[in-house]
Amino acid sequence: DEDAEIVQPKKKRNKQRVLLLSSRGITHRMRHLMNDLEALLPHVKKDSKLDSKSQLSLLPELADLNNCNNTLYFEARRHEDLYLWAAKTPNGPSIKMHVQNVHTMDELKMTGNCLKGSRGILSFDKAFDDSEWGRLTKEIFTHIFGVPPLARKAKPFIDHVLTFSILDNKIWFRNFQIMEKDPLQPNGPPQTSLVEIGPRFVLTPIRIFEGAFNGATVYSNPEFVTPAAVRSLIRQEKGDKYRQRKE
Amino acid sequence: EDMIPKQKMEIDNKVALERIRETIQLDQSLPWTETLAVSYPQTIDVDVDDDLSRELAFYKQALHGANTARTLAAKYNFPFTRPSDYFAEMVKSDSHMERIRQRLLDESAGMKKSE
Repeated sequence: DEDAEIVQPKKKRNKQRVLLLSSRGITHRMRHLMNDLEALLPHVKKDSKLDSKSQLSLLPELADLNNCNNTLYFEARRHEDLYLWAAKTPNGPSIKMHVQNVHTMDELKMTGNCLKGSRGILSFDKAFDDSEWGRLTKEIFTHIFGVPPLARKAKPFIDHVLTFSILDNKIWFRNFQIMEKDPLQPNGPPQTSLVEIGPRFVLTPIRIFEGAFNGATVYSNPEFVTPAAVRSLIRQEKGDKYRQRKE
Repeated sequence: EDMIPKQKMEIDNKVALERIRETIQLDQSLPWTETLAVSYPQTIDVDVDDDLSRELAFYKQALHGANTARTLAAKYNFPFTRPSDYFAEMVKSDSHMERIRQRLLDESAGMKKSE
């Protein structure tokens, strides 16, 4: 009797897809960082550059067209400053961050390697749980940087760890390969060690908005100084020195 | 004539932040294997400018994450270690890895020379 068939409760799954795109005017280093993220995260859909810098409201629509429920948007300013928006689309929230100290996987100093599309472990330090904005950021990053098990290109093994650590009010990102055997003693006892794969970057949270690329500000970082202001201050100091010398 | 420092408005609407987090939160009943997220029970308390101890702190955090994940994976009967006969595309290509190896060799040769 088919009607008597027991209906299995639908298994809940973590479904995430991330739209990754940038504004115009990104430098090669920023572009390489984006490519690294695309290689590491198989549930990312990369799209072409966004034409307009003022109409960020287009982004939720674009994400929807690509069946994505998250968006990572890299915004380049003056060809030197890089900002990263991490947003849940279409209903928000979104975090705007300033990206600094970028090192990409192309650098020869980082000797690790991992499967393309293997699911990485996400490690968050305790500081994320100590503040309300930290907890929200942790939740959003879990959605965006955690590879869901059903991602089309995901590999079934685990061989790397992504770490997020708060230090000096900034979020530091690192990516390590997990080595389970000592390469010098392949038959020795299993011992876990790590080798860095890259990329590296540091994010300074600037603001958290309630909506996706819009809405009320629910958090703002009082310590954040724009990179343009920092540069102008340096120039001003230089100018002052010159003026004093002339007098 | 000193500049009047502009006081930045600080916004930290904890109530709203918590409410927003609850609206997007993943189902708490999801098994760990759906997210693979772990928490490190310590904060990173090092001097930011001290590169060595800072990177060591990150390394320790990642090591803790790897070990915790391995125990959790065993608990959920979830494949962790890649078998030695499983080959697939890597994030860094073979030619890139060869360049890394060559650089390490060059470095060690240079060190021997200077000794």
